[in-house]
Amino acid sequence: MKCQHCQDEATVHLTDTVDGERRELHLCLDCAREAGVDLPESPPNLGLDAVIQSLIVNNVGELVGELAKLACPDCGLKFMEFRAIGRLGCPHDYQVFAKGLDPLILRTHGATRHVGKVARRRPELSERLRLRTQLKNAIAREDYELAAQLRDQLRSKDADA
Amino acid sequence: MNLDDLTRNSGEWLRGTGPESDIVMCSRIRLARNLADFPFSNRASRGEKSEIEANVKSCLDSTNLNLAYFDVNGMSSLDRQFLVERQLISRELANGEGARGVSIGSEENISIMVNEEDHLRIQVMHSGLSLHEVWDRINRLDDQLEETLAYAYSAQLGYLTACPTNVGTGIRVGVMLHLPALVKTKQIDKVFRALQKINLAVRGLYGEGTQAFGDFYQISNQQTLGKSELELIRILTDVVPQVIQYERTARQVLMNERKQHLHDQVSRAYGLLKTSHMISSEETMLLLSSVRMGINLGLIDDLEIATVNELFIQTQPAYLQKLHGAELGVEERNVARASYLRSRLSNGRHVEPE
Repeated sequence: MKCQHCQDEATVHLTDTVDGERRELHLCLDCAREAGVDLPESPPNLGLDAVIQSLIVNNVGELVGELAKLACPDCGLKFMEFRAIGRLGCPHDYQVFAKGLDPLILRTHGATRHVGKVARRRPELSERLRLRTQLKNAIAREDYELAAQLRDQLRSKDADA
Repeated sequence: MNLDDLTRNSGEWLRGTGPESDIVMCSRIRLARNLADFPFSNRASRGEKSEIEANVKSCLDSTNLNLAYFDVNGMSSLDRQFLVERQLISRELANGEGARGVSIGSEENISIMVNEEDHLRIQVMHSGLSLHEVWDRINRLDDQLEETLAYAYSAQLGYLTACPTNVGTGIRVGVMLHLPALVKTKQIDKVFRALQKINLAVRGLYGEGTQAFGDFYQISNQQTLGKSELELIRILTDVVPQVIQYERTARQVLMNERKQHLHDQVSRAYGLLKTSHMISSEETMLLLSSVRMGINLGLIDDLEIATVNELFIQTQPAYLQKLHGAELGVEERNVARASYLRSRLSNGRHVEPE
C-alpha cells in the first residue's frame, strides 16, 4: 500500500473512529512523524541474546560441551552416545559420567544413594576390566608385544582369584 | 532337561495355588546383575560375551541348583519364541545376538538370563500373592551366585546396571493380576492412573510394550534406588490387596446386577472354546478370560483353574507348533489351536487332537 501523502510504501496504518465514522490512515514512516503520530520506539537492545547465551553456558551449555567430549577410557563410550541409546557401556561409566548421570538418576529415582542389599565384594573399579580394554586396543593397533604382556597380566590376575 | 521336556510340563506359577490365586496369577521378582570385570553386554565384544557366558555357566555348575542351561544363540527362532511365551526369557534376549542363554529350574520358577541387557537377569516366579517367599528364594539364589561371581557394585549407587533406571537394588517386584471385571465395568483406567501416581508401572502379560492380554496386568515398581528391596516389596504388598478388593467388588456388582448376562457370556465363551474348529489367539485369550472369571464366580463347575491358566500359555503360536512338531501358518495354527482346546476341555472324554 502506498503512503497517502508521498507515494512511498506505507508502513504506519492507523484506524480511528470519529463521530461514529471509521477513518483509516496509511503513511510512510517520515510522513507519519511529520503528521505528529506518536510512534512506538523500537525496543532498546537489552543484550538479551547474550544473557540467554550465558545462562545456557552457566547451567547446561558448558556441561554439555564438556560431557559431549567425555568418553570412558575403559569401554570407549561417549556420554552423547549414552544419551542416544540409553545404555551405558561398562560399570566405570557411572564414575566417568557422574556429572551427567547424577541429575538423571535423581530425576528417575528421587534418590542418589543406594539402600538395601550390599554386595559381598565391592570392587569400585575393576583392574581386569581396564586390562581387558587395553588388550583389545593393543590388538586393534597390532601391537602384539604389548598385547602379550597384557594377556599375561590378566592371566596372573585370574590365577590369583 | 531339554526343551521337549518343557512342552510336557507347565510352570509351577500356573498351578493356581497360593494366596489370592483367583485374581493373582503369580508373583515375580527379578534382579539385574553385572560382572565387575566386563563391559555391559551391549558394549562387549563377541569374545567377551562368550567369556561372560562361560563364567556364569561354570558358576551355575558349581552350585547344586539343578538348573538346565539353554544356549539361546544356537536355538531356532521357534524355540526362542516358545521360551518367551512361557515367560522364561524376554523378547530382548530372544532377539539379541551373540553368546547368550538361559538357565531354567525344572519347576520353571527360576530363570537366569545371560547376556540380556545386563549380564544376569535373575527371575523367580511363584503362583499366588507370595512376594516374601519369592524374595527369600531369589535372595538366596543371588547369594549363591555371588560366592563365585564378582558383581559390579558401588557403595553410593549399589548394583550397577546397563540402564540407570535399574541401578541400586536392580530389583523389579511384579504381581500379575487377572482383572476382567474392572475391564468390563470400565474402571481399569482409573486404577492405572492411581497406580501411576504412586510410581508403579502397569504392563500386559508379556511385559514391556505389550498390550494387555487376556485381562492380565502386571503391576511393578519403577524406582530401584533409595529404597531397600523390602521397602519396595512392601509398596506392592500394600497396594495389590486394594486392587484385588476393587476387582472383587466389581465382580460382585456384576453378579448382583447382571448375573444372567454374565452367566450367558461365560457359558458362551466356554461353549465356543469347547466346540470351535478354527480360533485365533486373540479370541482365545478373550474367551479364556471370561471362563477363568466364570470358574472363580462358581458359574462353571467342571473345569480346573490350573487348566485355564495353562491354556493361556499353551494356545500361543510357538507352543502349538512345538506340539505339532512343525511350523504352521496362521490358518493352520487356528485349526491346531481349536483342536487342542477341544481336547483339553472335553469334560473328561478323551478326544484325540486331529
